[in-house]
Amino acid sequence: MKNGNFSCGSSVHGISRRQMLGSLGGLAGFGSLLHPAIARDIQQGKKQVCLIWLDGGISQYESWHPLPDSKFAGPFRSIKTSIPGVHFSELMPHTAKIAHKISVIRTMATKDPNHSTGVPRIQRGDPLDRGVDYPYLGSAIAKLLGPADPDLPPYIWIKPGNGGFIHREAGFLGAQYGALALGDGRPPVHIHRPDNVSTQLDAARNALRQKANERFKAYRNTSDVDAYETSYDMARQLMARKEIFDDEKLNQKDRERYGTHPLGRHVLQARQLLEAGVRFVKVNSYHWDTHGDNFNMSQRLVPQADQPFAALINDLDDRGMLDNTLVVMMSEFGRTPLINSRLGRDHWPDCWSLALAGCGIKRGAIIGDTTRDGAFVDGEGYDVGHLFHTIFSVLGINSRRVHYRHKGQKLAIANDDCEPIKEVML
Amino acid sequence: MRSTFFNSIYLFAIVTLQANTPLHERIDGLIREKAVGHSFSGVCDDATFLRRVTLDLTGNIPTAGDVLTFLKDQSPNKRKELIDRLITGDLFADHWMERLSVMLLERLDQGKVTQAEWGHFLKQTLREEPLWDVMVRHMIKANGKGPARSAMKFLGTADHHAMTENVSRLLLGMDLTCAKCHDHPSVKEWKQAHYWGLFAYLNQTRQATHKKEEKVYLVEGLASKKVEFESVFDLEKMSTGPRLPNGGEVEIPQFEKGKEYEKPAEDGLPAVPRFRPRERLAEDLTSGENTGFVRNSVNRIWFLLLGRGLSHPLDQMHGKNPPSHPKLLELLAHEFVSHDFNLKWLLREIMLSKTYQRSSRLPEGVTKVEPDSYRVTAPKGLTPEQLLRSLMRATGNTGQIKALKVDPEAEKFDRKGYFTGSNVELPPSLEEMQAIFIQTFGQPPGEAAVDFSPGVNKSLFLMNDRLIQHWLKPLGNNLVARLGKLETTDAVARGMYLSVLSRLPEEEEKTWVNAYLEKNEQRRTNALGDLAWALLNSAEFRFNH
Repeated sequence: MKNGNFSCGSSVHGISRRQMLGSLGGLAGFGSLLHPAIARDIQQGKKQVCLIWLDGGISQYESWHPLPDSKFAGPFRSIKTSIPGVHFSELMPHTAKIAHKISVIRTMATKDPNHSTGVPRIQRGDPLDRGVDYPYLGSAIAKLLGPADPDLPPYIWIKPGNGGFIHREAGFLGAQYGALALGDGRPPVHIHRPDNVSTQLDAARNALRQKANERFKAYRNTSDVDAYETSYDMARQLMARKEIFDDEKLNQKDRERYGTHPLGRHVLQARQLLEAGVRFVKVNSYHWDTHGDNFNMSQRLVPQADQPFAALINDLDDRGMLDNTLVVMMSEFGRTPLINSRLGRDHWPDCWSLALAGCGIKRGAIIGDTTRDGAFVDGEGYDVGHLFHTIFSVLGINSRRVHYRHKGQKLAIANDDCEPIKEVML
Repeated sequence: MRSTFFNSIYLFAIVTLQANTPLHERIDGLIREKAVGHSFSGVCDDATFLRRVTLDLTGNIPTAGDVLTFLKDQSPNKRKELIDRLITGDLFADHWMERLSVMLLERLDQGKVTQAEWGHFLKQTLREEPLWDVMVRHMIKANGKGPARSAMKFLGTADHHAMTENVSRLLLGMDLTCAKCHDHPSVKEWKQAHYWGLFAYLNQTRQATHKKEEKVYLVEGLASKKVEFESVFDLEKMSTGPRLPNGGEVEIPQFEKGKEYEKPAEDGLPAVPRFRPRERLAEDLTSGENTGFVRNSVNRIWFLLLGRGLSHPLDQMHGKNPPSHPKLLELLAHEFVSHDFNLKWLLREIMLSKTYQRSSRLPEGVTKVEPDSYRVTAPKGLTPEQLLRSLMRATGNTGQIKALKVDPEAEKFDRKGYFTGSNVELPPSLEEMQAIFIQTFGQPPGEAAVDFSPGVNKSLFLMNDRLIQHWLKPLGNNLVARLGKLETTDAVARGMYLSVLSRLPEEEEKTWVNAYLEKNEQRRTNALGDLAWALLNSAEFRFNH
């Protein structure tokens, strides 16, 4: 197998575990299968992650870093936040009220101005080139931490459009660490039992299936057959908990607080999945690429991120989950200071902003000095490699000591030349 | 005690065996030699054998009728006769086209040759006596001209690095990807020069369009100097001409100015150089003296039948990962060459061995067996294509599905919607069903199909898919319709087990069927569907055991 970890010293047991994870992102009962010490660690800290991805690039001037007096300013005012002296764009009234619960880094300086290469580059943490395809963040966490609840997939991706099982994000880790994608927030259709099959009937026919398997397995001992049986156990567990995908159950007040647009609905659904115990939830929103008409577009789009982001932080905080849940809201780059002839802003990786909150992150830290007009970092900026070290660190993964193993190659989990952003960490 | 005694006799026997002993017996001898003192499973029963061979050679389970006929057959040679009959049939060519294509292309639809053309090339070859070295030679040499044009698909769009990696991994059992930038970090004998030596055979190849035919050809430019490369670690500059790993470097001939070409440019295709390294590769690579190629070939053929390579993983053939049975690998390699790389001959010999025919049930008193000992047969997961065909046959719907007429006016089937639930139609054609099964059960394009990988999405599909539910309703003369007409539950059990699991039911299983049908007397037809559902979702069905 191309993606096999050959020199992991894989014993038969090792292979069977890997296979058992199958291709739904390791729905396996990790707790019982991992090395006991690792399993203990996981149980101790049920750390979770929510990544809100604004695909195309949110403008820092119209969000986290308004500079109304600079020559690059747009038409929007800045407003006070809950942190004295810190302002956000007026397009973010909800988040302004909870600024003291989050951190903002205003000096991201990354290397790629293109969407097609930038999105994977950023979501892989831009590691040094080792001739392999690195996993996206969600797949990396699925591999490094496994599922937080053994019955649930570790990595769920809520996105507009189509869903299904998306393996390509797993890179060299292998398909089983890919994402279970809920297209328009809906789970794959096969999670639903046909209407004409009652619970009782299903149990009866399943008992027959199990009897047949017992008989088949009686004189056989192969990990493949066991893994097959396990995939059914896990499938049935997931079917039994399909209510966690059911957004009909969400209450009306919550819907209004998060917003009824897709991003609002999907972030609310992310909360539901985090509460259910999913390790990593990614929520995608598209069309942030405001080359033309940046200001009208921002006026429409930014509130769609502001409202559910603030609601999510508040809800996690109220539920006592924020200290164990990392929330990241970001894009693949920011937008140019210079406004182009179509009243748009283009791609700008040189100096942009993102927000972090929760697990291991300071509350109310606004980080990074820029030049007066916000165009460039004043001093050293942070690359996405620094961000990945930070994310791994706050989740309790030592990003210097923990490595991937791939075909005998020891591979750093985050860019070797970077380190955690200490000033944003508790 | 008993087994040790017999083993000693056995050992004595194999030492005295000479080369004219048939290969299948020598295979068994070498497998035994490695596990002296250990017990082995016996050969499997007739029904299991029939199912195994039918799946391996034709990609489908046998029909209930096939099972009964084979069980009744009194010929002492019936196993050999079965193999001979199936391996010469058209279904063999159809199925091995799939197996070889999945191995060689890994489900990537690459280059300008269509899947259909490529499939036709493989099928035509497999219908006759396919010679593996000739097939590979065509795939490497193909330039667009003549009947072997379709073989060109293996080289895709002539991406030099992709070709280098595919040739090394798939044809030499060496995953040299790491060696592109530096010597392999953990496999000492894999050098960066190996990667670039292969690269130098391929780096003149590119696509060019024939103006009149408007077809893409794979042409070669003029190779005049060595390929230069450097290690990312020490930045030392190195160079190599075309060279096979462990072979000598091919000298790039220098011609007088004006005499480099054999044929001038024509119809949009460039001039043809006298020295064409890719054509040279086709010869050098597939030579019987290239042990790397021969070993990799027999290892992969062995894998396709036994489910595990003698050298495993398949693309890690190096000193740190020695084969489980080195002598056997050498023997197979030697015999394959002396039988002109005859694919069917090798398949036949492996299938005649006790090693292939062993039961998948553990030997008595044994609870665990290392998979690389081959003391017991390891169940192989069905491929997506095998699974679909077997489901259709088991549920008795093959005829109806094959008779489906696709309405050319109809909108294209929304496959994505089928998985998300927005499309509630049933797939209208066998091709569409195949695509759905490949998407669900196949490996992602570009990844090797080696290990069985169950997954929750796959189990959910088999449990709840609309199409499969549909097949379990009584339709025409399908399984549930036929069983519904039977009087006794014993007859139902017999029909059910013969059709789905390709064997007769045991007494205990008859009582299950009996009890379930009694309990569900009021909804007997549906209950038949439930029983079939349970068997289709069982491990026994999912594996070739």
